[in-house]
Amino acid sequence: MNCEIFREIMGSYVDETLEEGRRQWFRIHLRECSNCRQTALREEPSLLFAMAPAAPGEPEAIEACTTAVMGRIRQDRLERRLHRRRRPWLAAAAAATLVISGGISWRALVGGGSETLQPVVEARRDAEPQNSPPTVEVEMAGEEVRVYQFASEEDSDTAVYFIVDPALEL
Amino acid sequence: MVKENLCIQFAGFGSCDEVVMNDRQWIQAAKKGDEDAFAKLVRRHSGGLHRTVARILADDAEAWDVVQMAFLKAWQKLDRYNPRFSFTTWLYRIGTNLAIDLLRSRTSRERAHKAGSEHRLRLVGAGEGTGTRADSNETDNVLQQLVGVLTPQQRSAFVLREMEGLETAEVAEVLGCSATTVRNHIFQARKALRRELRQRFPEYLPASERG
Repeated sequence: MNCEIFREIMGSYVDETLEEGRRQWFRIHLRECSNCRQTALREEPSLLFAMAPAAPGEPEAIEACTTAVMGRIRQDRLERRLHRRRRPWLAAAAAATLVISGGISWRALVGGGSETLQPVVEARRDAEPQNSPPTVEVEMAGEEVRVYQFASEEDSDTAVYFIVDPALEL
Repeated sequence: MVKENLCIQFAGFGSCDEVVMNDRQWIQAAKKGDEDAFAKLVRRHSGGLHRTVARILADDAEAWDVVQMAFLKAWQKLDRYNPRFSFTTWLYRIGTNLAIDLLRSRTSRERAHKAGSEHRLRLVGAGEGTGTRADSNETDNVLQQLVGVLTPQQRSAFVLREMEGLETAEVAEVLGCSATTVRNHIFQARKALRRELRQRFPEYLPASERG
């Protein structure tokens, strides 16, 4: 009975006019019934491809794909962060912040811990007889490394420095 | 939209509804930057997408590259994803478009080289071949030899409709065309494949047809 129905609706399947539910049934019967498959392939050889299954992928390959995709996503995120850091205005802002905070820290150290902080300009003037004020140097080594160096002018000893190296972050 | 048929691929992941629900939860989390949630989506869908793309491209290794590109693109455009539609439809649309672009960029010389590397395959005779994996891999092998005669759009429509078993409306959604256009692609593809199969793979026809 099923085989009769199969043969009746085969033309509709090939013509793309078969209702979707019956279409699914047709595909299952094509796989399961060897006699009907013979008949079907004789009349329409391209039905061979309807027997291709929904086999899942290899777990190792899927895991490798997932690792590659997620690695690339993380790399893109880090690159975007580094790109933002390389903006000139940000470097200038960072340098300015260092100057101000360096001056305040210097005043706190040299000035003997007064209760209220005085303006930076005053701090420099007060500190002059004893020590030179701090200086800030921003060094660029190619595109990859950026060094912020916070040093004393008198003896060139480095007090604070920051290194941003994408290779280390990755 | 592709829910019904693509759920065939999710054996081991629970029912179809569960799959869709998990997808939605993971997409919401991924939209907020949760990379682990997105990794789960990659694990779930990469196998099925790879099989489809590999059939369209007739190249297994290249298909993995396309799958990776598709997921990266999906991650980058996740904020544009409309949850009214199935994630699989959206993902397959991205992957299929990338595969079609790749096919168009290939030179005719490359295609001729692939088509020329023909090999003979064993017979699928009476009483055997009930859709086992071995037979199916051979079906894929035959397709690899023949897809060169189809246009990228015909290949994609035929693979999605005839091999993956999607509904016409779903194929239309993935390919971004009308249902009528999909039917036309299938008709043309079937006609070309019928001719090529009879000429180049008569062993796949029943004994009475082999001459």
